[in-house]
Amino acid sequence: MLVRRISQFFIVYGAGIGFLLALKSILGLSDYVIPGPLEIWDTGLAVAHGYLYDVLNTLGVAMVGQVLSIIMAFSIGTAARKSSWIGSFIKAAAYNIQAYPIVAVAPIIFILLGDGFAARLIIAAMICYFPLLLSVVSIMSEPITDIEHFYLATGRMRWQLEIKIRAFENIQKLTTVISGSATLAMAGTIVAEFIAANAGIGHAIRIALYQSDLAKILAALFLIGIFLSLYQGTLEWVGEKIINKWVIVDQEELP
Amino acid sequence: MKKNIIHLFFIFFISCTLFAVSMVSPCRAEENLNYRLKWLFNASVTGDILAEDQNLFAEEGLNITVKAGGPERDAIRELEMGYAAFGVASADQVIRARAKGAPVVVIAQLFQINPLQWISKNSKPAINTVEDLRGRTVGITYGGNDETIMKTLLSRAGVKENELTLASVRYDYTPFYMDKIEVWPVYKNAQGIIIGEKLRKEGEDIQFFNPVNHGVQFVANSVVTSEKMMKEHPEIVARFKKALLKGWHMAMNPANQDLALTILQRYNKNTPKALQEKQLASTRELVWPDRSKEIGHIDVKAWQQTEQIMLEQGLIKSGVNIKTALIIP
Repeated sequence: MLVRRISQFFIVYGAGIGFLLALKSILGLSDYVIPGPLEIWDTGLAVAHGYLYDVLNTLGVAMVGQVLSIIMAFSIGTAARKSSWIGSFIKAAAYNIQAYPIVAVAPIIFILLGDGFAARLIIAAMICYFPLLLSVVSIMSEPITDIEHFYLATGRMRWQLEIKIRAFENIQKLTTVISGSATLAMAGTIVAEFIAANAGIGHAIRIALYQSDLAKILAALFLIGIFLSLYQGTLEWVGEKIINKWVIVDQEELP
Repeated sequence: MKKNIIHLFFIFFISCTLFAVSMVSPCRAEENLNYRLKWLFNASVTGDILAEDQNLFAEEGLNITVKAGGPERDAIRELEMGYAAFGVASADQVIRARAKGAPVVVIAQLFQINPLQWISKNSKPAINTVEDLRGRTVGITYGGNDETIMKTLLSRAGVKENELTLASVRYDYTPFYMDKIEVWPVYKNAQGIIIGEKLRKEGEDIQFFNPVNHGVQFVANSVVTSEKMMKEHPEIVARFKKALLKGWHMAMNPANQDLALTILQRYNKNTPKALQEKQLASTRELVWPDRSKEIGHIDVKAWQQTEQIMLEQGLIKSGVNIKTALIIP
């Protein structure tokens, strides 16, 4: 799975670079507009060490932000699964807050929290949290009638059991949503760093942009892609293990 | 199946390339030509928008659209891609571009004094020399011009970077207002005026630290075009420059202040007129400080010093002989 993820990334990245180089060659553009392959390679080697640290820094914040988002989304999502007033209120609030562009909200966060770790973490979690919450709410509020009916009819239904049934029946969807949210957390952290933070690969991209250095940006994108593919691949692998284990345990429990 | 997917992917790739190529058309004479500014519409571009608003380009038989710039806009790239025929770029952009083979030339230098300076409160110890920065917290934008200028100032004055604190800054001035950063980089004629006004209301006065006074000249905004345009359509370039500089002359003439402010208000409704008046007055001092020289005068020595500074700071690997890119009449 990891190998497939990485190889897919290489194809996409290679196609992107190939497209840029084809354009450069056809239009006769200078290295200032699109750097040549040698410059991309040399720049990549020159910045690799620094950018590697930056990407790991960003990934670290994104991972913590994603974990926070998952905990919050599952806590609130399961609480809001009933079509009660609170449930619909949480859904409406999530839709509304999600509609605000993060670049408009980010300056307020940076003014309040400064431009350090906390601000980056909150922005990463914000970008990741709301789509995750909406997915969890919609998945967990869908009754599994065939199964739930039996427990309801026999009076054995408890809220813990209801969550377990719905989570089990939708485990595939939930693991997909979680692994997909890794991209959002990473994007959120990079956006935060780009806007105002003083560390991470988003900050490095910002500096490269000031210096009109596309080769540095391409090197940063390469490392972001590699590490994001690794992270997502790992999440998918863990998700698959959980599904397999749960299914086996469930089958063993069957009479 | 796999073969079909590869074919589809290949067709998609070729289509994308052809589409991108078809979108890029070289500028042709007598067509609508774009003039890409470096930044948004504000007092720093009064002459540019006045030339458009007062039909000065049209009087020269040109159909020019003045387009606002922004942090992610790069006029030099747009020249090469054919999206613009003329543009505004800072000297460091021009030098970097030339170092990477971009065929760009400078036809006028809009700012004779770089508006990029450092603001500080008068209540803090005065900064009369670079040495006075020792022990202070000085703001810089990492990757920006101000980083290059400040590091050059420090190195030439023999002040080591560990003798002061260099703090990263962006667009939020709270750390400056709260005295966390004492010396803050601003465009004197834009944010400098806004911050100054705010502080004056609080009973605080300000001062500016101008690198030129300490021997560092780093050229700011200039008007650029492509070598191809210069070679194939020199008459268009000449007419454009004539109309543009006429616009700047009108804008910088205090007698035309009301007209300039009315046009500024039309292009930038969000800044109060009183503030724009002060910004315009400040812009005048930066664009036309020496009345014996024409507006748009290209200061070759300043350009050469800018190139030298970029070499010293390792921003370019080798010299570009920038003089060859300066079109001096």
